[in-house]
Amino acid sequence: MHASYVIRRLLQIIPTFLAVMLVVFLLVRLLPGDPASAILGDRATAEIVERTNRELGLDRSLPVQFGVFVRNLLQGNLGDSISLKIPVIRLIGERLPTTLFLTAYAAVLGVLMAVPLAVLAAVRRNTWVDALIRAVFQVGLSLPVFYVALQLLSLLGARLGWFPIGGYGENFTGHLYHLFLPALTLGLNLAAILVRTLRNSIIEVLTAEYVDFARAKGLRSRVIMTRHVLRNALIATVTLLGLNIGALIGGAVITETVFAIPGVGRLMVDAIFGRDYPVIQGLTLTFAIIVSLVFLITDLIHARLDPRAELT
Amino acid sequence: MNVKRLSHISIALVAALSVGQAFAATRGGQMVYGRYADSLFLDPVLNDANLDIWILTNLYDTLLQPTNDGKGVQPGLASSYAASNGGKTLTLTLRSGLRFADGSALTAADVKWSLDRARNPEAGAWNSSLASINSIAVSGSKVTLNLKQPDPTLPAALATFNAAIMPQKLFTAAPGKNDAEKAKAFAERPIGSGPFVLSEWKRGSYMVLKRNPYYWKKGDDGKALPYLDSVRFEIIPDDNTRILKLQAGELQGAEFIPLSRVAELKADPRINMVLFPSTKVNSILMNNRPKLNDGTENPLSDPNVRQALNYAANKDALIQVVTYGTGKLMKSYMSSTTPLFDAKQTGFPYDLAKARSLMAASKYKNGFDLTVLATSGSADDLALLTALQQMWSAVGVRLKIEQLDAATKTARYRANDFQMRTAAWTNDINDPSQITTYYAVFDNIESVHTGFKSAEIDKLFAQSQQELNAARRASQYQQIQSIYLKAAPIVYLYETPYPVALSNKVKGFFQIPLGNNIFAGASLEK
Repeated sequence: MHASYVIRRLLQIIPTFLAVMLVVFLLVRLLPGDPASAILGDRATAEIVERTNRELGLDRSLPVQFGVFVRNLLQGNLGDSISLKIPVIRLIGERLPTTLFLTAYAAVLGVLMAVPLAVLAAVRRNTWVDALIRAVFQVGLSLPVFYVALQLLSLLGARLGWFPIGGYGENFTGHLYHLFLPALTLGLNLAAILVRTLRNSIIEVLTAEYVDFARAKGLRSRVIMTRHVLRNALIATVTLLGLNIGALIGGAVITETVFAIPGVGRLMVDAIFGRDYPVIQGLTLTFAIIVSLVFLITDLIHARLDPRAELT
Repeated sequence: MNVKRLSHISIALVAALSVGQAFAATRGGQMVYGRYADSLFLDPVLNDANLDIWILTNLYDTLLQPTNDGKGVQPGLASSYAASNGGKTLTLTLRSGLRFADGSALTAADVKWSLDRARNPEAGAWNSSLASINSIAVSGSKVTLNLKQPDPTLPAALATFNAAIMPQKLFTAAPGKNDAEKAKAFAERPIGSGPFVLSEWKRGSYMVLKRNPYYWKKGDDGKALPYLDSVRFEIIPDDNTRILKLQAGELQGAEFIPLSRVAELKADPRINMVLFPSTKVNSILMNNRPKLNDGTENPLSDPNVRQALNYAANKDALIQVVTYGTGKLMKSYMSSTTPLFDAKQTGFPYDLAKARSLMAASKYKNGFDLTVLATSGSADDLALLTALQQMWSAVGVRLKIEQLDAATKTARYRANDFQMRTAAWTNDINDPSQITTYYAVFDNIESVHTGFKSAEIDKLFAQSQQELNAARRASQYQQIQSIYLKAAPIVYLYETPYPVALSNKVKGFFQIPLGNNIFAGASLEK
């Protein structure tokens, strides 16, 4: 049942992609300012702009351009970056692992921070501990990502010298070390969202009848907490985490800039400002795939955690 | 010779030697330099951006080189050059024993092939700088350029990045069906004859340039340059992060320091905050046409109004507010570092009384509404324009600021769909002709799309492009600058330097007025 469900969901992604591609294809072309303007800048003569547009195939009609794009896509070719003049697929291949690593790292740190604190806040609900945890994360949530990033860099990087100031590192441990501060920046933001939801879910579960029953059976608090309360409370958290992956990648755009990380977030910003159509299209396709897959995985985990959920 | 005199001589000799030692550059080491963005495409002919141009000459050498002060040219791969035949022939003599970074010989045939490629009208955006060349002949170490007409700009053009000499055999052996495809392949691992050669490039992250062991130029110690073993460019887009990394000792240099941080870094004893003189001029371009694109009447078509706005702008205050005192008054449309800049030009010193009388002499005594295009997210643009809003309200002008992203702003500008816009310019060539064709000559891009047109300037410019007599050419440029000033097609603001923060250990690094970063003579002292 699960296998057929997964295949069906994967097949459903295809029309989603086509719709996303058409919308992005049209949207980037509706933006004022063309690639020639962006690449050549203020100095280009009309003749050079015309020649550049011709070389890029942008002098053709939109349906023809879309047809060429889809044909290339079916052959696994996303085209060449207009400004960098290298294949988009190679560019994404070089940059995507960095962003995925950062996002996963941030999600892990976010969950590691959120779960124990949410449990503590729920168990000590309406005490000063609860109020402090909620207040700290509320403040964290309202601070802009770039501000948190710069403060962490200044304090833990420049002043104390515990972490490098930016960069990506050379190997796995190097990545863990270099990406700690940016992952913490993103993780703090995520934890702020998770703590609130998880705390409320735990409180809800703690007051449920089956928990009272478990207590009446004489089960120890730790067993009740891990087997009954946390498991049920995590259902909402997993859903929320899945939904926030998009936001996490969005946050990576700013974090990657501040921490000088060569990921796809920064690439997307540069591509939009540079009107690098093939890169924008390639990245949007990639993001659509990632978000669809994350939603699918979230649903599968949800079903695993909650036997009542049906995969239909 | 008595003993006393001898001892004086020996003291002088010891002093001279120790001074010599104190100034001798240390060899070896890697200099890590923080750049705000990565290079895009390392082909001298087909590139489009300063991100490439400003580092290209470290990889590819040219026949002649710009001087560090930006005022002239000096020998490069060619040890000498001479004009003959009434200026219609330029003969260059190549140095002996020249080699590319892979050890292969650099020959006159490579020179001919490279210049032919660079002057191909179908190739790139820069071919017009070599348009006067009719044919190229080579014989031994001699390269003869036969010209269509005398061209005083040619030595400077041969010292410009697009005229770099490339290895014909390696380039043509690169995979690809045509020149553009071969250029893409070659530019991934370029081989040139500059002081460095690309050894590693992780796009968007870092680039490593290794010492070219075959570079021809010698250092102060008589051995071949460069002093450094390598230069590593780290790409750090955020200004604050770049500065933090420099302060933490992770970088030995950082470019594009925000002018607001210059004073603070000057006070840091570990850092040498340098403001390299540049060719950067900051102005506001005005649409000079009688009607705007939407058909409405344009007050900026009146020279009185344009002059009034110039006089009503308090440049000293703007230099303090926007450039934190690092800028200087713009007196001509070209920077004071540009050859043939006329030192007698006055620009428009702040004079509110004069501005008011000029407005009174125009049709717009009661003022008017004016819209200026700014680059969104540019703190400098906002600081400048909000200050101008106040300054120009004194002459009845109500300034509205419209913020657009750079590509949209360029598209509107190219369509002449603007009334005013902020603008900055740096020269690519050590000659005033480039900025003049853009700012003052209509036929290129309608005088930076202002629509300004002067038959007198067009005539003087055409003459200057063939004038080999330096004094006469200077006089032509003096006239062009004066006519332009009187017409005031733009609002003259200020010149700004290139702000680079270096570790105190760095010696001999230069950013020349054109913007090129010169690492050949850079060293890291202990």
